[in-house]
Amino acid sequence: MEIKPFTGKTIKCIEYDGKPAVDLTSLGIGPERYFEMYRWLVFTRAVDDRGYILVRQGRAGFYAQTAGQEASQVGSALPLQPQDWMYGDHRSQGSQLVKGLSTAEWFAHILGKSLDPTAGRSMPGHIGRNSLHIVPPSSTVGNQITEAVGTAMAQRIKKTDEVTICYFGDGATSEGDFHVGMNFAAVYGSPCILFCQNNQYAISVRLEEQTHTKTIAEKAHAYGMDGYLVDGNDVLAVYAVTKHCVDRARRGDGPALIEAYTYRYGPHSSADDDTRYRPKGELEMWRRERDPVTRFRNFLESQKLWDADKEAELLAEIKAQVAAAMEEAEKSPVPEPLSVFDHVYEKLTPHLEWERKELAAEMAAGAQG
Amino acid sequence: MAVEVKKQTQFTMVQALRSALFEEMERDENVVCLGEDIGPRGGVFLVTEGLIDRFGKDRVIDTPLAEAGIIGAALGMALRGLKPVAEIQFIDFLYPGFDNLVSEVAKMRYRSAGQFGASMVVRSPYGGGVRGGGYHSQSPEAYYVATPGLKVVVPSNPYDAKGLLISSIRDPDPVVFMEPKKIYRAVKSELPEGPYEVPLGKAAVSRAGKHVSVITFGAMVPVAWEAADKMKADGVEVEVVDMRTLQPYDTDAIMQTVAKTGHVVVLQEAPRIGGYGGEIAAFVAEQAIEYIEGPIMRVAGHDTPFPYALEKAYMPTSDRVCRAIKKTLNF
Repeated sequence: MEIKPFTGKTIKCIEYDGKPAVDLTSLGIGPERYFEMYRWLVFTRAVDDRGYILVRQGRAGFYAQTAGQEASQVGSALPLQPQDWMYGDHRSQGSQLVKGLSTAEWFAHILGKSLDPTAGRSMPGHIGRNSLHIVPPSSTVGNQITEAVGTAMAQRIKKTDEVTICYFGDGATSEGDFHVGMNFAAVYGSPCILFCQNNQYAISVRLEEQTHTKTIAEKAHAYGMDGYLVDGNDVLAVYAVTKHCVDRARRGDGPALIEAYTYRYGPHSSADDDTRYRPKGELEMWRRERDPVTRFRNFLESQKLWDADKEAELLAEIKAQVAAAMEEAEKSPVPEPLSVFDHVYEKLTPHLEWERKELAAEMAAGAQG
Repeated sequence: MAVEVKKQTQFTMVQALRSALFEEMERDENVVCLGEDIGPRGGVFLVTEGLIDRFGKDRVIDTPLAEAGIIGAALGMALRGLKPVAEIQFIDFLYPGFDNLVSEVAKMRYRSAGQFGASMVVRSPYGGGVRGGGYHSQSPEAYYVATPGLKVVVPSNPYDAKGLLISSIRDPDPVVFMEPKKIYRAVKSELPEGPYEVPLGKAAVSRAGKHVSVITFGAMVPVAWEAADKMKADGVEVEVVDMRTLQPYDTDAIMQTVAKTGHVVVLQEAPRIGGYGGEIAAFVAEQAIEYIEGPIMRVAGHDTPFPYALEKAYMPTSDRVCRAIKKTLNF
């Protein structure tokens, strides 16, 4: 299978019914990698379902579901190496888990517990992990793009063999940082993969109201960069296209823009009501006919690699793993109030020391009173 | 150019800053400069002149014309272990990158709970008195001072400019380094050979006096000196305190000067309302009121946008400082 930019066609490896759409031998991967992919798809959905329950139980203030977009995230994160860097947005948990993020830490992040590596500093969906090169996402849509490009510029300047992947949504492509970041990435030939999860909605605004181009991938033309349009619900296609771009970037052949055409099942976040803007039947159609998890399971079954027993075994194993992670997160204490002053600067400034003392005194007085 | 820099002993602020960049880039290969026209052009004020010849274009990076890109990319570089020194051509042009600076650079350490730090410097000329009109004359320090996570540094002379820039580059936190363009070439100072640090967070008594304290920074320091000279005729000895670092600021230095003089005038170019001088005045009112013998006066730019043709009417003058001094002394 040849992977080419700007073909005008969506790159696809498997059909909606799970049948291979192209000769898959050229991908150079076998059943073990397929199982790994499928496991991550199922696992991401299970973790996501559990996260959303926390909001419904009133134990978290906010949650952005990722259901529907698992193939885009898992397929694009699997080609990465440990030395590579990842900038996400608030809907990147699948990619972050594949990159190595601990599930217990993810749940602790949603709950605002100490086990959260970002110590409860941000709303759920803004986790970061330095040891895994996962940078905490920004809520100001798009500004992770210029940052990711800067990291890729540094990777080139320091002559490393690393690449950086940056996730953003279709709405972000209207932001200045997208255009600035695309331009910087191309001008400096940075090893950056700009990965757009086009789920067709920026909260409520549909893609055709967001941009006048037919696709997002074609925008790459204007920056002198390759653009690829891939079926974002086809984990094999996302994997193949991302691997192609990662390999090119690692070789020093510069950045690429990937548009993964997908669909989110949930509202934008737990604070959104998506019934106000989705056409009737659209969500049901995507769930029924294009679900990335079902589609890949159909593929595995069509290849005689999967059956009901294996499915039951996998679901049981993941259920136990998710439950254990949740238990660990729940056991973690909430952050200590005086830690509010930590990490503003590397050291406390005189003013922060003073304010810290004031808060400590207030707390002591409160405890006595 | 570089050879010439090393031999000379009398430096303008521009030359002092260039010397700091040159020596820090020699010392640490992770230090890189990026900005608009900083390569062969040497920057519009020539601070980076000659750097590209010595360090090449991977370390002296001419960027596309996009401040959001400069600040955003600098942060990404800092996270990956470089020490970026970003130049914004005029601080009035920083706003396209304001979001990247205040939402991302300033808060990366905090929201990652200390896992990531943004050790980087954003250098930029600021201030009026150069017939630059509104887009080339403003003093926006209050925005940055009001943003936890940023440090804000403003030198007033060549010696401090070099030492403060070196300290800023070596600092683990992001520094907005505001360069008073009006006095870029106004005076020369003798500089020691080689790199040295002037510590961040420490003010300097730039002129000692016992009757009244003028607390100021940057290009207003020479204006305060001029006022001090004029007040001598009335037998008034003015102490001039140069804040040097606006955030985090030197509370001890303020307490000491207030205890000594009992009269405070704060002086800034920016508009008065919501300005940095208000912070100093409030600090004095909260913490040192027992020493105060007259009103805490603010001398500032007017609460107007910065005008081109009427620049002289806008800029604080030594006469305005003298009037404020007399008002607090004669209370």
